[in-house]
Amino acid sequence: MVFYNALRNILYKRNSVFVATVFTGAFVFQASFDVGVTKWYEYHNRGKLWKDIKPRILAGGDGAEDEDEEDDE
Amino acid sequence: MFALKSATKRLNSRAFSTNTAANATSFAKKAFTGGVAATGLAASYLLYADGQTAEAMTAAEHGLHPPAYGWSHNGMFDTFDHASIRRGFHVYREVCAACHSLDRVAWRTLVGVSHTNSEVKEMAEAFEYDDEPDDQGNPKKRPGKLADYIPGPYENEQAARAANQGALPPDLSLIVKARHGACDYIFALLTGYPDEPPAGVVLPVGANYNPYFPGGSIAMGRVLFDDLVEYDDGTPASTAQMAKDVTTFLNWAAEPEHDDRKKDGLKAIIVLSSLYLISVWVKKFKWAPIKSRKIVFNPPKK
Amino acid sequence: MASLALRSIARNSLVSRALGSQARLLSSSTLTKKSNYNTPDFGDYIKPNGANEKSRAFTYFMVGSFGLLSTAGAKSTVEAFLQTMSASADVLAMAKVEVKLAAIPEGKNVIVKWQGKPVFIRHRTSEEIAEANAVDISSLRDPQQDADRAKNPEWLVMLGICTHLGCVPIGESGDFGGWFCPCHGSHYDISGRIRKGPAPLNLEVPEYEFADPETLIVG
Repeated sequence: MVFYNALRNILYKRNSVFVATVFTGAFVFQASFDVGVTKWYEYHNRGKLWKDIKPRILAGGDGAEDEDEEDDE
Repeated sequence: MFALKSATKRLNSRAFSTNTAANATSFAKKAFTGGVAATGLAASYLLYADGQTAEAMTAAEHGLHPPAYGWSHNGMFDTFDHASIRRGFHVYREVCAACHSLDRVAWRTLVGVSHTNSEVKEMAEAFEYDDEPDDQGNPKKRPGKLADYIPGPYENEQAARAANQGALPPDLSLIVKARHGACDYIFALLTGYPDEPPAGVVLPVGANYNPYFPGGSIAMGRVLFDDLVEYDDGTPASTAQMAKDVTTFLNWAAEPEHDDRKKDGLKAIIVLSSLYLISVWVKKFKWAPIKSRKIVFNPPKK
Repeated sequence: MASLALRSIARNSLVSRALGSQARLLSSSTLTKKSNYNTPDFGDYIKPNGANEKSRAFTYFMVGSFGLLSTAGAKSTVEAFLQTMSASADVLAMAKVEVKLAAIPEGKNVIVKWQGKPVFIRHRTSEEIAEANAVDISSLRDPQQDADRAKNPEWLVMLGICTHLGCVPIGESGDFGGWFCPCHGSHYDISGRIRKGPAPLNLEVPEYEFADPETLIVG
């Protein structure tokens, strides 16, 4: 109860504060959401991305044995 | 007396109107039944008439449908396999580029996708491009830059046809998007050349048989054979491996935005579905007072 | 708004329960008090006592998230539209020109095309650099230090467009050992500064950088 009262007094007693919070929240959300989704996406596709093969290419393309290509059939 | 008369009249007119209403209903019923019967008869006739004529295009003329292969970028959130794009470009460069152009792909687009900046620069510099004329107005040549587009093998369409017995090798920039079956079709076509055409198939001079090509007779011969190229990452260059890699590369060429598109799609799905769910909740919340109101009517006591 | 309405209903119904079915309260105005309206029982819709603050917090949270997501969505939509106005990748790729400096011997001019404009690149000798620095700045029409015009004094990079009417000046000519515009006779010195003639300004210096000591990138 105390917590919710405090929440009310801080966050949404004044509409201006509430709206400002929502707007700044939108900026923070957009940035962090972007980072989060990118992280998951890169984790989901790990091994297939350019950043995964770039070190191998820069090293001279010697990764002959540890090539794990799935076949198409 | 007068009042009574008018009342009778009203009664009569009401009776009459009820009667017409009944008539109308029965007419609608008849019309509906008739319509259904007519539609059924017409459909039956059309089906019958259709069965009387033979289809001009046979399945062979449409081309064999390619099987659905498990591409590593098939999934909703799956990117291209960039190592495969790199090998595919290798195959394109060494095999396909002898006949097929890639007009819409600029060198710079390869940077950060399959090759490093210096690698692409080196490749581009191996080609000559038209430069601004010199002070005397003579045409000049310059080495390629990142901003240039990958040059094709022929100067123009006529040269391409002349070199290929009248057949025009299509530009491969958008070929994956331009063919039914997309990747599956390209892969099936590249790997689908039989050693000999089936018995009874007559091919024009210079044509090859491929069941996946509509009509079966294709000007392009089989080009991919085991160990035709040597991959710099050491992957064994089997026919299927090369076909898979070059198809992945061509799919990238047709859809360079593919990886970002799927990521944006993921973001859109998450945000829009949350917005939808929240909007349902907010709607319910806003309507709660209206939906839960009660209206009571107490008849006044006399 | 709606939460306030709910709250007032809640309060009223508590009162109405307290007063029994005789209470005629929906609002406190005297007019309604006088009406014979019997407030129905809203007990089923009332949250248990004490749940109000929590449910209000939840309501604000939901409405706030709704606004937050909508704002973020609107923001990216606007950004997407604005992005269509920025230069596309093929334009950006053409916007820079790379020049190999090793091919330019000392004391030579080279003209390269950059975005359709001629760019003068001069590999200056040490005498020329000394000459450019020896000029009394206060006597110039468009006072500028040589150091402000060349990042590396050995290499002078500037747009080859006369600031008078846009002709292309000729190199290694004119009264000051620099450039001379044949159209109306403007003389530029070895730092590309206007010294004589109708041109009002020094030759413009484009943006450029040295990627490494051997490579110049204009743009």
